[in-house]
Amino acid sequence: MKIFSESHKTVFVVDHCPYMAESCRQHVEFDMLVKNRTQGIIPLAPISKSLWTCSVESSMEYCRIMYDIFPFKKLVNFIVSDSGAHVLNSWTQEDQNLQELMAALAAVGPPNPRADPECCSILHGLVAAVEALCKITEYQHEARTSLMENAERVGNRGRIICITNAKSDSHVRMLEDCVQETIHEHNKLAANSDHLMQIQKCELVLIHTYPVGEDSLVSDRPKKELSPVLTSEVHSVRAGRHLATKLNLLVQQHFDLASTTITNIPMKEEQHANTSANYDVELLHHKEAHVDFLKSGDNHTGGNSREGTFKETVTLKWCTPRTNSVELHYCTGAYRISPVDVNSRPSSCLTNFLLNGRSVLLEQPRKSGSKVISHMLSSHGGEIFLHVLSSSRSILEDPPSISEGCGGRVTDYRITDFGEFMRENRLTPFLEPRYKMDGSLEIPLERAKDQLEKHTRYWPMIISQTTIFNMQAVVPLASVIVKEAMTDEDVLNCQKTIYNLVDMERKNDPLPISTVGTRGKGPKRDEQYRIMWNELETLVRAHINNSEKHQRVLECLMACRSKPPEEEERKKRGRKREDKEDKAEKLGKDYESDKPWQESERLKGLLDREKEELAEAEVIKDSPDSPEPPNKKPLITMDEMPTVEKAKGPMSLLSLWSNRINTANSRKHQEFIGRLNSVNNKAELYQHLKEENGFVLVNALLQRS
Amino acid sequence: MPTVVVMDVSLSMTRPVAVEGSEEYQRKHLAAHGLTMLFEHMATNYKLEFTALVVFSSLWELMVPFTRDYNTLQVRRARIEGRKLSVFQNKPKTIGQFQQQTEWGAAIPCQVVLVTDGCLGIGRGSLRHSLATHAQRGDSNRFPLPFPFPSKLYVMCMANLEELQSTDSLDCLERLIDLNNGEGQIFTIDGPLCLKNVQSMFGSLIDLAYTPFHAVLKCGHLTSDVQVFPRPEPFIIDEEIDPIPKAINTDLEIVGFVDIADISSPPVLSRHLVLPIALNREGDEVGPGITDDTEDENSANQIAGKIPNFCVLLHGSLKVEGMVAVVQLGPEWYGMLYSQADSKKKSNLMMSLFEPGPEPLPWLGKMAQLGPISDAKENPYGEDDNKSPFPLQPKNKRSYAQNVTVWIKPSGLQTDVQKILRNARKLPEKTQTFYKELNRLRKAALAFGFLELLKGVADMLERECTLLPDSAHPDAAFQLSHAAQQLKVASTGASEYAAYEHNIAPLHTDFPGSTAERM
Repeated sequence: MKIFSESHKTVFVVDHCPYMAESCRQHVEFDMLVKNRTQGIIPLAPISKSLWTCSVESSMEYCRIMYDIFPFKKLVNFIVSDSGAHVLNSWTQEDQNLQELMAALAAVGPPNPRADPECCSILHGLVAAVEALCKITEYQHEARTSLMENAERVGNRGRIICITNAKSDSHVRMLEDCVQETIHEHNKLAANSDHLMQIQKCELVLIHTYPVGEDSLVSDRPKKELSPVLTSEVHSVRAGRHLATKLNLLVQQHFDLASTTITNIPMKEEQHANTSANYDVELLHHKEAHVDFLKSGDNHTGGNSREGTFKETVTLKWCTPRTNSVELHYCTGAYRISPVDVNSRPSSCLTNFLLNGRSVLLEQPRKSGSKVISHMLSSHGGEIFLHVLSSSRSILEDPPSISEGCGGRVTDYRITDFGEFMRENRLTPFLEPRYKMDGSLEIPLERAKDQLEKHTRYWPMIISQTTIFNMQAVVPLASVIVKEAMTDEDVLNCQKTIYNLVDMERKNDPLPISTVGTRGKGPKRDEQYRIMWNELETLVRAHINNSEKHQRVLECLMACRSKPPEEEERKKRGRKREDKEDKAEKLGKDYESDKPWQESERLKGLLDREKEELAEAEVIKDSPDSPEPPNKKPLITMDEMPTVEKAKGPMSLLSLWSNRINTANSRKHQEFIGRLNSVNNKAELYQHLKEENGFVLVNALLQRS
Repeated sequence: MPTVVVMDVSLSMTRPVAVEGSEEYQRKHLAAHGLTMLFEHMATNYKLEFTALVVFSSLWELMVPFTRDYNTLQVRRARIEGRKLSVFQNKPKTIGQFQQQTEWGAAIPCQVVLVTDGCLGIGRGSLRHSLATHAQRGDSNRFPLPFPFPSKLYVMCMANLEELQSTDSLDCLERLIDLNNGEGQIFTIDGPLCLKNVQSMFGSLIDLAYTPFHAVLKCGHLTSDVQVFPRPEPFIIDEEIDPIPKAINTDLEIVGFVDIADISSPPVLSRHLVLPIALNREGDEVGPGITDDTEDENSANQIAGKIPNFCVLLHGSLKVEGMVAVVQLGPEWYGMLYSQADSKKKSNLMMSLFEPGPEPLPWLGKMAQLGPISDAKENPYGEDDNKSPFPLQPKNKRSYAQNVTVWIKPSGLQTDVQKILRNARKLPEKTQTFYKELNRLRKAALAFGFLELLKGVADMLERECTLLPDSAHPDAAFQLSHAAQQLKVASTGASEYAAYEHNIAPLHTDFPGSTAERM
């Protein structure tokens, strides 16, 4: 694919000399008398367009199709020529639309039939066209700037479409010579200039047009190379619709277009609203959309004739859309379209239907009767695209299911939470440039990556790996701590959350700690809280460098979280023990601060009431399981018991039953002292020994005996 | 991309190879050895590749249609026996027909591995003859190369370079690659013909075309090792401006998420399965590409299945939420990850590659300009998730969305005149529409230099004025003659009346209810 091919730059040169004011001698009836009108009125005489009107109208149609299908990077420069050249627009993208051109043409007006033909010539326009081709477009400029030392790779090619009324074949040759000469001269000029480019290749398309019924004085000639830089072709065309047909054909050739006819479009009749008839609409688009037909040679073309008749179109059948369901189709290409007959009723019905947001699948008519959907018409932001859908066998058919691969057996992924995460990390366009503090341009996409980095610093993937994300009570903190900057209100909310948790701990509220994968009943209540606090600390610590406010949240957390008394004791003795279960805890050990504690204490008082209300609500939300019976003792048999999963839903029958058995068993014997005093099912043996010796500490697991 | 192995079974393949050992080897044995190695490699490392086996001599035969069953391929390959003389031309034709049969379609690239000894045959139908007469062929008996689908042609020669150079075989084979738009490569045996050297030749083919693509999928700190299948191939954006093929990064970085409705079936270059793999310390893969019967591997697979993997989490949430993840593949190159259901039960994480460039999808705008919603003043998706910032609207409307005027067919012009006339008869109720249509016609006529039409319509309006029934509102006559007069002066082309931007305004009258528009 080349951006800077001949079709990057098109110059239209339209003759504005006196003879172009002549009639094309093709009449248009414009006064169509409606039925049931008063009898006896003679319709107004038909009028006819001038050669000029025909030329302008046809070239505008060429531009309309081109702009519809290639709104960018395909540029037109419009020049009219009489006693001088009038350049109507520039190569800039803002000038590239029909309205601009129409307004400029209106300002020029029709040619003056009484002007002196001697001082008028198409040559002025052709010279200006060559000049225009040497001018650099913004795309060429951008490409050259970005390529630096390889700037010479940026090509400068173009096409001149000249519509005139030539006198003879030798006149045509004279025009060609003139273009050749001018290119030669301007290339010399451009060689010594920074803002001009030498023309590498120029295609001259000379269209000689003459009134219907006259004999052409100029003969057609296919494309011929006049020099390595210049090729030329001559078309001799009658004015009126013949000229329009020719330019329609040319725009298809020049921009590699192809035609698709949508057939069987059901449309309500204007007169009889309850009946519908089927219509066809022809669309133009890039021919890549037909790549499957072209390569397989399996084309469904209507008239397969060559040059002359240009009706070579692929017919596709309309499939009435059933639902508005959103589906992700496997689409191998999407190409902008332009209706051939833009104002006709069927065309505008189809385009309006699509512009309103509906998509239409298109089916290949096949003799065998099998239904193959090969294309889809759909609009995106007011532009209609023909999507090419893959209709062939997939090379990815029958893939292994994701559940068979790595991580496929895990069943408690936080799917809903990650869905929420994805919605928070959706993208949106930022069209206005933004600047960072240091004045450099901020790239929105980098901000998006940055946010993902922050949001995933601590993000456990499965439910059984986390406590805090299973607690509604933590949400206010978890949702704001990941922010780049927090407001004072955010900090306050975080503190509230922490106090709320403290309160829950004080009330000994159950926590949704997962016991999946662990043996035994799981940790005791105070151990659960320790795990929860550690996890919360990990989350907050991951963000303390974001801002000073994040720091304040951590300070509050450290001040409020309770530490198990044993731990405090251990600390006093200066003995450091590895606690493999909990890495995060280690991070927090050295952290001590008194001041924030006081401040927090003050705040705590303020918030007390609110917090209590909240806490009540939390109990209901977070602990669907019934409060555990008081004085429940750990049991020997418990280790063998199936685990009770507290985090989820109501109690299962199994857990009800095992609880009952446990309670019954507990009445039958007395519990070990060690187990009663154990922390996390660990108990210190030989406690008195260490008092005597001061250094021996044996830590043993209280295993099944 | 599917592979077709095309094996030469002509008599010349039975030529013996001088080996020091006791057993006598023929070239076909070497070929068989190489293919066994290739199939073994694919069965373990490239398991999802579809492969077909074709043999040819003067005729051709499809031994195994496209399959992932490498056992069958091995078994059938072993049964192949020597046949007649080599008539080369049939071979590529075969593949062409064959590929259409299986309906991969013209867009799916295919790899063709041709195993031959480089003996091109003689006479009509031989490769030499085919190439010599290449230019004279018509459409009906077109030479099969280039294939009617994107392809890479790998020629595995059971011969060394010197041998091929001694005849014109090498030139002919190179012509084949040229005819395939330069896509492909010729492999020859380096050194004497023996099993070891055949192995190293197939080894280079495997390195070139059949090494699995491993990458790391990242979403902030959440990561997963993955295999991307089929391998994403390097892509050339513009052979003139940017002739160097671009390959995708081995770090696939998620940049954000978009709803399926917003991304709306975008065009993609290719689709790939993203399969999570477990890499152990030696860098060996324990993943979906493997089913080994050794117990170790099985238990390793089971362990891997129980370790939480980000791909599975991502896939689940994308599926539930109906979203895609936008992933950056390289500088100015993006793609999307989504859940693709193959059947009711099976679904998978799939990645599609967009065309490289800063703005692959016009309705999303420039990718670099997409940022997090938290940076926006208010949530562009609305509080209740009821709106979307997409699609972006282009600056200029397309012709079909802006009511352009085209009078190339007389019917276009007649419709526009009729519209004016219809409204003229409903004056003064339709004053606004009447003038709107009138001004549209006026503008187009001025741009096209079609002043005669302005005069004609002016005449028509004057006639309408005379035809007004007695019951007509008096304002109607005033508006009609005012409009007619304005068109008349415009039709002179005089600059003060024929300005394009000027609009004919309704005549201000004092009749009660005169300019009330009832639409």
